[in-house]
Amino acid sequence: MMRSIYSYLILTLAILFTSFNVAFSQEAVDSLAVQQGKEIFKTNCVSCHSIGKNALIGPGLEGVANKRKKEWLKKWINSSSDFIASGDPDAIAIYEEWNKVAMTSFYFEDEDFEALYAYLKNPPIQEDIVSADLTLAEDQGVRTSTKLMFIALFLLMLVYLLTSLKNKLKESLGQETETIPDTLLSQFNLFVSENRNVVFASFACLIVVLKFSFDTMIGVGVYSQYQPEQPIAFSHKVHAGENGVDCNYCHSSARKSKHSGIPSANVCMNCHTYINEGKITGTTEIAKIYDAVGFDPNTRSYIEGYEQKPIKWVRIHNLPDLSYFNHSQHVVAGKIECQTCHGPIEEMDVVYQHAELTMGWCVDCHRTTEVAMEGNEYYTELHDQLKEKYKGEKITVDKIGGIECAKCHY
Amino acid sequence: MKTTKKYWKGLAQLNNEPIVDTLGQNEFIEELPVDKFLGDQENLSVTNSSRRDFLKFLGFTTAAATLAACETPVVKSIPYLVKPDEIIPGVANYYASTIYDGRDYASVLVKTREGRPIKIENNGTYSNSRVQASVLSLYDSARLKSPLKDNKEIDWKTVDSEIKEKLSLIKDGKIVLLTSTILSPSTNEIINEFSAQYSNVEHIMIDSTPYDGILDANMDSFGVRLAPSYSFDKANVIVSFGADFLANWMANDYATDYVNGRNPKSGKMSKHYQLETNMSLTGANADKRIQIKPSEQGYLISSLLDAVNGKSYDKRLSNIVKSLEANPSKSIIVSNSNDKNVQLLVNAINHKLGNYNNTISIIRPSNLKQGNTEKLDNLINNMQEGNIEALITYNVNPSYSLSRAKEFNTALKNVNLKVSTSLYNDETACLMDYVCPDHHNLESWGDANPKYGIYSLMQPTISPLFNTRQFQDSLLSWIGKSDYHAYLKNYWSRKGIDWNQSLHDGYFSLDEKLIKVKRFIDQSVLVKNQKSDALELEIYETVALGDGSQSNNPWLQELPDPITRACWDNYLTISASTAKELGLSNWTVSNGALNGSIVDVTAGNKVVKNVPVMITPGQAHSTVGMAVGYGRTRAGKAGNNVGFNAYPFLDAKKVVITKVDGEYEFASIQLHHTMMGRDIVKETSLTDYIKDPSSGNHRETYATYKGKLPSDQVSLYEEHDLSTGHFWNLSIDLTSCIGCGECVISCQAENNIPVVGKQEVRKSRDMHWMRIDRYFSSDMTKELSKEEKKSAIDMYSEMEVPSENPEVVFQPVMCMHCNHAPCETVCPVAATTHSNEGLNQMTYNRCIGTRYCANNCPYKVRRFNWFQYSENEKFDFHMNDDLGKMVLNPDVVVRSRGVIEKCSMCIQKIQELKLNAKKSGKPIKDVDAQTACASSCSTNALVFGDSNNKDSEVWRLRNDERAYDLLDHLNVKPSVFYQTKIRNKS
Repeated sequence: MMRSIYSYLILTLAILFTSFNVAFSQEAVDSLAVQQGKEIFKTNCVSCHSIGKNALIGPGLEGVANKRKKEWLKKWINSSSDFIASGDPDAIAIYEEWNKVAMTSFYFEDEDFEALYAYLKNPPIQEDIVSADLTLAEDQGVRTSTKLMFIALFLLMLVYLLTSLKNKLKESLGQETETIPDTLLSQFNLFVSENRNVVFASFACLIVVLKFSFDTMIGVGVYSQYQPEQPIAFSHKVHAGENGVDCNYCHSSARKSKHSGIPSANVCMNCHTYINEGKITGTTEIAKIYDAVGFDPNTRSYIEGYEQKPIKWVRIHNLPDLSYFNHSQHVVAGKIECQTCHGPIEEMDVVYQHAELTMGWCVDCHRTTEVAMEGNEYYTELHDQLKEKYKGEKITVDKIGGIECAKCHY
Repeated sequence: MKTTKKYWKGLAQLNNEPIVDTLGQNEFIEELPVDKFLGDQENLSVTNSSRRDFLKFLGFTTAAATLAACETPVVKSIPYLVKPDEIIPGVANYYASTIYDGRDYASVLVKTREGRPIKIENNGTYSNSRVQASVLSLYDSARLKSPLKDNKEIDWKTVDSEIKEKLSLIKDGKIVLLTSTILSPSTNEIINEFSAQYSNVEHIMIDSTPYDGILDANMDSFGVRLAPSYSFDKANVIVSFGADFLANWMANDYATDYVNGRNPKSGKMSKHYQLETNMSLTGANADKRIQIKPSEQGYLISSLLDAVNGKSYDKRLSNIVKSLEANPSKSIIVSNSNDKNVQLLVNAINHKLGNYNNTISIIRPSNLKQGNTEKLDNLINNMQEGNIEALITYNVNPSYSLSRAKEFNTALKNVNLKVSTSLYNDETACLMDYVCPDHHNLESWGDANPKYGIYSLMQPTISPLFNTRQFQDSLLSWIGKSDYHAYLKNYWSRKGIDWNQSLHDGYFSLDEKLIKVKRFIDQSVLVKNQKSDALELEIYETVALGDGSQSNNPWLQELPDPITRACWDNYLTISASTAKELGLSNWTVSNGALNGSIVDVTAGNKVVKNVPVMITPGQAHSTVGMAVGYGRTRAGKAGNNVGFNAYPFLDAKKVVITKVDGEYEFASIQLHHTMMGRDIVKETSLTDYIKDPSSGNHRETYATYKGKLPSDQVSLYEEHDLSTGHFWNLSIDLTSCIGCGECVISCQAENNIPVVGKQEVRKSRDMHWMRIDRYFSSDMTKELSKEEKKSAIDMYSEMEVPSENPEVVFQPVMCMHCNHAPCETVCPVAATTHSNEGLNQMTYNRCIGTRYCANNCPYKVRRFNWFQYSENEKFDFHMNDDLGKMVLNPDVVVRSRGVIEKCSMCIQKIQELKLNAKKSGKPIKDVDAQTACASSCSTNALVFGDSNNKDSEVWRLRNDERAYDLLDHLNVKPSVFYQTKIRNKS
């Protein structure tokens, strides 16, 4: 009893703490300027700077807004080379520290700079990763085998208890006692002696076998957890997780096309022109990009007349030809997060297929996901009609034809 | 029973070609190595594998194969190393360009995916089926892959140095550039520079079908050797003497103008008379068609001139004369005659009627035809005499397409330097010393000036596939220059053209000085009636193949002719009555295919043997027609030996035909000719339409407890909810549809429709998602049979026979997307289902191929994949060719064997349209909603859109009085509907 009370107490405390934490961070972050700033940061800065401590091409920007004055930052961002030339000692110091590479000039409008500054002043508290963690835990739950083991243990205990109870009773009556195997055997014989029981038992067995085969068969061609080795050991954990590079930075066509697009090597080179070392295996892996495009890290220049070698990535998510899937539909029109289908990609060192990619999986989601109609003029008229048609119900994707055959098969 | 009757499997057998014999004796071409295996006694006795072993091996291999199949293939994904900025994988790019192959011209938009062109769209103007199909010709593996010298591959450097050296050595003899009509101003300038550099250069242009008659007549009448431009939209009366201006005559933009001048809604509809020999596409669309023999044409035109001058005239022309008198200076008279005198008469009539500067313009001429046969004849004569030192050909195939091809080929031996720039090693190229293969249009830079003041630019949409070089670059390199792209850019920049903007738009116009012409001089000489009883021949070009330069394009080969509905062939067209007189016939065999008699055709010393006979309603009595463009021998695997070459008969007038034994197998997809008294195509006349817009559009009513109701209000089915969201509809205006078949090719390109070949088409296994049904009128009607008290059997058997000079209607039919679809209810696996947007969906991966749906479809629009058509040697067309496969649309599945397919209303385009609207957060614009057929239609007969959008064109058409559903008594509630056909009969 006491134990369960304790656990309740702890859980309540934990929930209170989390909600307080979320409420607190939201209050601070919730201004429009910070959101705008985040966008500006994502589009302009993220390829060279992280918002944390990590140094990429340039230094990590944690606490930069407190360290430097606003005016100083503005001058530096607008044109670092001019600023260095003006002889500012801090600027020169940074220039010297970072291998005499001046930062690209960004002539931001005042409004944009204010937004960016607001964002730098209120950097995000690792919220994204926390939420992803929660979904992961929820998703996996307790494994079926563990459950089965518990049930079996429970049943064995029950047999033990009942047998010992029976023996106790027999003892008190002065009868001969039985061991557990004896009981099991006699009970089994009793069960088998009746024909009906045998029929029932074999039927039950058959159902179990059929269910097992059905489950096996339906799993044919389903490759969730498929985790092939890639020609370059690229880590999403390092890029998307630790360094916070936005998914769309590399997979830019996910917003425009049906393909999310594997980034071309020139996108890699945007950053890796400067970054040629990694913490673990990075140095050798980055060298593979250089080998593909013909880049000499020592001279920091492309080798002339080099025969470039395409990088042959192994495709993980293979949808059959007969089904049409469009990334931009889901990412832009549907406003779905990448992680919804791809799982905690920012934690994967080696990417694996998270979802089943079966039709059932698609259709299930279409049945439960609401259509992102708000603020989209395309839906204005349709939304009114649907509100009328499905009074009070959620307007899910299937209600606008999202589970019709020819939406994906043509 | 005739014992002498023989059945030929093909022309090869008839011609007694040795290959047939060899094949007949050797049924299995690849011999089975039975003897080798069993004959080796030594080996057999040593081997001691028992039956048991055999079973072991069998079991093991089966198990191994099964296990091997379990392994999932590893799919590689290879991104660009440096991605071009403008390419986003999965998103199409469009480039404005121009297609001109020496014959067909169109300003187009080229749709490219990941850098490969996959579809041609109209650039807001017009095109035709050949222009639409040209994208497949780009991926033709028969194209030359590098320059040739004496039919052996060689490099450009050697070719250039050798040709340059030979050219510079020429002192006395002539250098002749033999080209098609050239529309490109910059090319003309290059040719001028070339002429300046070398001595004695002559540039001769020829057209595959010569238009010297018109050009020379204008030289006499106006002092300029030019073809006028016609405004068929401005004419109230059109009188065409044999000119097939809707399909092949002169330019290919007349259809758009013609239909614009025939808008019943406005009450203004031109009156179109066609006096012709063969049943042409234009004749089929005419309001009044009069059959004449070719020899009568000159006389009738003379008679019309008499009539215009107030003299007595031929009675057949009385209606025409009345119409012309009622519409002064609002008419067009055209003739297909290549006789200068006849064209002078035509000019005189047009002048007298005041048509010049109103409907016909000579001061704003068309540049599409500039060929000069006189110069060509001189060239051949000079070649024979050995006066020609060098001959360079471009865009022409004289060894095939000249009536004097034989003489040309012989005379060619006297020419010292022979250079072809053909894309193919064709009939001419194979006789040349050097072949410097040109790029395809889609790989080239260029410009064109099809009409006075109108220019368009051509830009490459793909890197050259092979080691080829543009003709212009070849010429430049022979005068020691290079880089045509820079040359072209420079040429237009000098003229003050905004290069980037013009390239983006694809066309631009220039204010130019009008062409100076002399005052009209009437030099016409009246022609007397030369009508004879002899069998007369008229040569024509088919709607599909034209002059045959794209013969190796399987899409075009399989495009059924609008009139005869046959494909993969040319034939002798003949009227039913003439055929009867000559003992010729067409008949249907047990599998439903068409067979016909075979004849030999002789004209003077020219003979073509074993020509199949196609009975064509509407062909004038005692005349025959033959199509050019077939009988190629060096076109490539699809075009070789299809039909016979009719070019030698280009100048022939009278022919003799003799029946030979045997029969010929046609591939015709429509064997019934008439509507059998049903109103499949609802038709009315303009006068009736003006009185009552819904005339001719009568909907059957049924007696119900609520009284008599039209079929659409009687229904047992539950209705689909079509009022929410979109309701995609397609309207087909039968008045605007001229039956040209451009939409069929466009559909084929968009939807990865396979080509199945002649034998399969013959078995009615054609795969086109849309067809254009053609119906002839019959002399027998239900009313007439009542009057004559005929029995039903007599009536129907007479109804089956088309009139000698029938009226013709065309009706495009594709999946009607019924909202009470008969196919959906019979599918046992729910592979065909209905969408909430009014579409009938077909899910290939669900289909098990019972074909119940096809049987239950009242419109017969479902197609079954009897075979795997892709990657199958038996169907050796573009889908069995690595290069040809590049034309496939990656957004549409290539169907496999055993599934049904049909029109999807371009669902991929609808989905893309909706997605783009959702992404941009804007409602769909009506103009953006297009299917492949609707977007390519040059006459705007097909209109696609959302009927739930009250501002859409299709909504207006849906509620038009002319709108009707095909087979409306079935009440299947189609999403596709038709507008009644209106003819200007009075």
